[in-house]
Amino acid sequence: MLKIENLRFKYGRRAPDVLNGVSLELRDGEIGILLGRNGSGKTTLFRNILGLCAPDAGSIRFDERDLLKMNRRERARLVAFVPQEVRFGALSVFDSVLMGRIAYFGLKAGREDYEAVERILAEMQLSGFARRNVEELSGGERQKVAIARAMAQQPRLMIFDEPTGNLDIANEQLILEEARRLARERHIAILSSLHDLNQAMAFGDRFFFMKNGGIRYSGGAECFTTDVIQDIFDIEVKMLEIENQKVILGGSHR
Amino acid sequence: MRTAKDAAPGIRRYSTVIGAMAVAVALLGLVSLFIGSSHMSVSDGLAALIKRGTAANNRIIWNIRIPRILAAVIAGAGLSASGLIMQTTLNNAMASPSTLGVSNAAVFGANLSIIAFAGGFLSTGNNLQSYAVGANPYATSVIAFLFSVISILLILGLCRVRSFSPNVVVLAGIAVGSVWTAATTILQFYATDVGLSAAVIWTFGDLGRATYRTDWIMLAVVAAGLLAFALLSWRYNALLSGESAARTMGVNVGALRFVSLLLASMITAVCVSFLGVIGFVGIICPHITKRLLGQDHRAALPASALGGSLLLLLADSLSRCLGSGSALPVGAITALLGAPFFVAVIFSRKENRRC
Repeated sequence: MLKIENLRFKYGRRAPDVLNGVSLELRDGEIGILLGRNGSGKTTLFRNILGLCAPDAGSIRFDERDLLKMNRRERARLVAFVPQEVRFGALSVFDSVLMGRIAYFGLKAGREDYEAVERILAEMQLSGFARRNVEELSGGERQKVAIARAMAQQPRLMIFDEPTGNLDIANEQLILEEARRLARERHIAILSSLHDLNQAMAFGDRFFFMKNGGIRYSGGAECFTTDVIQDIFDIEVKMLEIENQKVILGGSHR
Repeated sequence: MRTAKDAAPGIRRYSTVIGAMAVAVALLGLVSLFIGSSHMSVSDGLAALIKRGTAANNRIIWNIRIPRILAAVIAGAGLSASGLIMQTTLNNAMASPSTLGVSNAAVFGANLSIIAFAGGFLSTGNNLQSYAVGANPYATSVIAFLFSVISILLILGLCRVRSFSPNVVVLAGIAVGSVWTAATTILQFYATDVGLSAAVIWTFGDLGRATYRTDWIMLAVVAAGLLAFALLSWRYNALLSGESAARTMGVNVGALRFVSLLLASMITAVCVSFLGVIGFVGIICPHITKRLLGQDHRAALPASALGGSLLLLLADSLSRCLGSGSALPVGAITALLGAPFFVAVIFSRKENRRC
C-alpha cells in the first residue's frame, strides 16, 4: 500500500510551496486518479514519488518501506513510470523492454532477464513486434511498449502521467484497459493523472482532486459532483445520467 | 517457439558489420606499413617485418612505422569512442572528446613547456641549446597532460555543484577552454619566432611522435576507458530515453555522467598530450556510425572505436603519401577526409525527409 503523509515541496529556497502537505493512500491493485488544473501540483507529486525531486518534508512509504531512504535501483524495482511521451532512442521493441530490467541486471542482461521480457511481450501481445524499431511504431503501440518496459521493472506501483494525452480514442481505450488489467491481475497499485473527467470516472477506483498544491477532495466516484468540479476547475459543468452512468458535460467559465 | 536468446535481436545484426570493420582496420594497418617517405619496396618491407631486411629497413618498420600505426589505431579508437560517450552523456550532438577544454589545456601546457621552459621567450632570445633540452618530447607531453588533468578536475569540480547538468558542463567547458586559449595567446605573444613555430607545430598533431612507450601508455588508458564504456552500454542506452526516464529505471545519472566525462577526457588528454591536437575524429566518427548502425551503444561503441581507428589510419597514410618527405598534419587530413563523408551521410538518410 502506498502511503504519502504531509508531503511538502518547493522548487527553490524562496519559491512558493508547490506541494503543501499532500497526504494520500492507495491500496494494492487500486487505480488512483489525480485530477486538477495545470499547475495544481500533479506532476510535482509524481516527481517526488519517483525520486526525481526530494521533498522538503513528509514521508512516502510503500508497505512501511521508506521510499525516501531507498537508492535508485531499489526504488526502480518498486516504482515504475509511464510518461506521456516516451523516447526510446531507436532501439528494438525487445531491447526497449529489456532496458526496464537495468535495476535488476546492472551491467549485462542474463537469461532470466530475456525470459522476463519474453513473458511480458507475450502477455501484452507485443511478441510480433519484438524486432521492430520502436520509432517506427504508432503512438498507441509505443505507449504499450512503455507500459511493457515499466512492467519489466516488476513494480508494485506504477505512475502514469497523462497516459492517453497523445492518443486517439481507440488507443486511449487500449491503454486504459491494459493498465486496468495490470491492477486487477497483478495487484499493482496505479496512480495516474488524466484530464478527461469522464474517462477518469470510468477508469479509476479512487480520485484525488488537487488544487494549489494540496488534495482538496478524495474518495470514490461519488466525489464527482458539480460543486467539486466547479471548485477544482473553476468552470460550470452539467452532469447527466445515461444508462446509469454519470456523464459530465463541459460548461462555461464562472 | 523461439528461445530467449534467439529473441534478443540487438547485437547480432551488427556483429557482421563490426567484424568487417575490425578486418578493415587490420588490413589497412598492414597496407600502411608499406607507405612512407623511404620508398621501401613491399618485398623489402616484408623482409624487414620478419627482421630479415637491412638494418635501416628493420628500424624503419619496427621503430617508426609500427609504433605510428599502433598510435593511429589506439588514438583513433579512443577519441572516437570518447566522442560518442560525450555526445550521449551530455545529450548534445556537438559534444566532442575535448568539450571539457582538454585540448586547449594540453596546448597551453605544451606551449608553456616549449616556449617558457625551453628558452623560447623573447627576453632570453633564441637559445638553441635549451631547445634541445626543451624539445624533450616527454617533458612537453607530461606538462601538456598535467594541464589537461587540471582542466578536467577543475570543470568536474565546478559542475558537481550543479550535478553535472549537461548544459552547465558544455558551457563550463567552453569558458575554461577559452581561458586556456587566451593564456596560450599571451604566451605566444612573448615567444621568439623559433619558439612560436615550435609551439605551433606541436599543436598540429603528428602520429610520428609515437613510440612504443607512448603507445603502451595510451593503450592502457584507452583500453580501460573502452572497457568501462562497454560495461555501461545499457546505462547509456537508458539515457537515450531522457534523463528522468533513465533515473526512474534505476540509473544514477549524476554518477554516470561523472565517470563518463572523466574517462573520456582522460583518454583525450593522453592522446592529445602525446600526439598533439587531432580534431574531428571524435565528432565525425560517432555520428557516422550512429547514422549507419543506430544508437544502441552495444553496437555504436565498438563501431565508433573501429571507425575512429580506420579514419585516423587512412588519414595518416594519406598524409604520409601527400607530404613527400614529411607528413602533413594528420588533424587536417582527418577533417578533409571525414567531413565530405560526414555530410554525405547526414544528407542521404531518410530521417531528413521532412514534410
